[in-house]
Amino acid sequence: MSVGLRAASGGAAAADSAAAALPAPWPVRMRDVVVRYPNGVTALDGVSLDLEPGEMVAVVGLSGSGKSSMIRTLNGLVPVTSGTVEVGGHDVTAARGRALRALRGEVGMIFQSFNLAGRASVLQNVLVGRVAHAPTWRTLLGAHTAQDRAVAYEALDRVGMLDRAWHRAAHLSGGQQQRVAIARALAQQPRAVLADEPVASLDPPTAHGVMSDLRRVNRELGITVVVNLHLLDLAREYGTRLIGLRAGQVVYDGAAADASDRVFEDIYGRSIRPDDVLGS
Amino acid sequence: MSAADVAAPVRPGRAGRPAPVPPRRPAGRWKAAAGWAAVLAVTALTLAPGIGVEVDLGAMARNWRNGADKIVALLQPDWSFFPRTVEPLLETLQMAVIATAVAGVVALPLSLWAARTTNPHRALRGTVRAVLNVVRAVPDLLYASVLVAMVGVGALPGILALVLFDVGIVVKLVSEQLEAADTGALEAARAAGGTQLQVNRSVAVPDMMPGFWNQLLYVLELNVRASSVLGLVGAGGMGLLIDAVRSFYRYDQLSLIILEILVVVLVLEAVSSAARRRLT
Repeated sequence: MSVGLRAASGGAAAADSAAAALPAPWPVRMRDVVVRYPNGVTALDGVSLDLEPGEMVAVVGLSGSGKSSMIRTLNGLVPVTSGTVEVGGHDVTAARGRALRALRGEVGMIFQSFNLAGRASVLQNVLVGRVAHAPTWRTLLGAHTAQDRAVAYEALDRVGMLDRAWHRAAHLSGGQQQRVAIARALAQQPRAVLADEPVASLDPPTAHGVMSDLRRVNRELGITVVVNLHLLDLAREYGTRLIGLRAGQVVYDGAAADASDRVFEDIYGRSIRPDDVLGS
Repeated sequence: MSAADVAAPVRPGRAGRPAPVPPRRPAGRWKAAAGWAAVLAVTALTLAPGIGVEVDLGAMARNWRNGADKIVALLQPDWSFFPRTVEPLLETLQMAVIATAVAGVVALPLSLWAARTTNPHRALRGTVRAVLNVVRAVPDLLYASVLVAMVGVGALPGILALVLFDVGIVVKLVSEQLEAADTGALEAARAAGGTQLQVNRSVAVPDMMPGFWNQLLYVLELNVRASSVLGLVGAGGMGLLIDAVRSFYRYDQLSLIILEILVVVLVLEAVSSAARRRLT
């Protein structure tokens, strides 16, 4: 499966001469996606979207609007009840086992609470990004190839955390931990990066730093980035495209820069409050 | 004067408003009384002559002198006996250390298999847990007696009995610790495309290790205590000597042995609590 993915992208990468050295970014296609949890809650209610390769998409909505469920359907962490999700032309909803893991290996993910192994070193955490590209015995023995290490160092260097490679993850500040988490996603050499409220646990200056890192990932590496946010100024500033979710349905889809406060009031279903903005 | 009149001046900010009244206390206060009644009833029943444990206070008053000279002997340790205790004491320590090491190797993968967060496979998890429940239910002395019959008198049956005993404890405590831990890092490793084995090795293991060492140090202490008893059924170590001196009514020599075990346990406790402080 992994070989197949690579071969499929090879042609696309060659066509795009500017990004010849980088893996081609992936588009996302969702058709009539419904997610209903066993407790009866409908998180997504018929979502259809087409995200172009290399876009930086901000998904906004109140908590409970289905943002988190939506982003998790893109790598199969949340199974869909009906509808189809295609990422890079591969059907996520049909993928199981080895095929699903190979697909996940091409899609990086960043979480609100960083989700690092606190007692492991920064480098060990970043090497987690290589699991889908390494045989299980190498992971079990901790015998990473020189190439995997090189990829991890490069990812750490890109987010300015290389000098912390041997620190314990739990000893870093929140912003530093999120940078390590971004490095872990970059170590996957991903075709798309999903970020679920990446700055909701950070103070404003740090939040802008992390969002800038994500923007550089999108602009310099050309990777498709989907980022869930609930703060309207961040969505406007960093997204190229804005998708508004309310009660599991897409209620807005357009350029992020054009989204006025009225648009956000419409997405949120209430008037704008001071805590809807991060400020600087 | 009503309660409201009294409460009002205490909270000047709430002047004019009625004093806050909590919702009615839920019914069911009789449950506590019923609980106490049950405890009393069970106590009375177990002490009742004929059906209970037959505590005979009169016999205690008549026979206490029989024990008194034993206690006097215990208060006068026979120091000249020391050279003969050195070898069994070392054997006890060896048994404890070897059993702890073997138990650690066996318990590490079993702990991961027994925890819901690191083993989503319900049937396998249930089997591991069921087997370990049985292992824990059997007393170590029974293991020792059966193993002595199987492999002969000596340290080997003692070590095997301790390993079984330790694995039961360590797996129980460590798998509970795993289930209580945050699952974020596990989700991240799964999202990166890792197999369950890779996820466990790269994320769960680093985070569980401090707790795991902690439990191993704990069972090492338990082993020193337990291995002195196991000798009573022929399973090597200090217990063989205890059995010998006890059958010759040499309570002064027994006293020395008890003192030695006490010293060893105290030293172990000091060492392991120092080690634990460095394990955080």
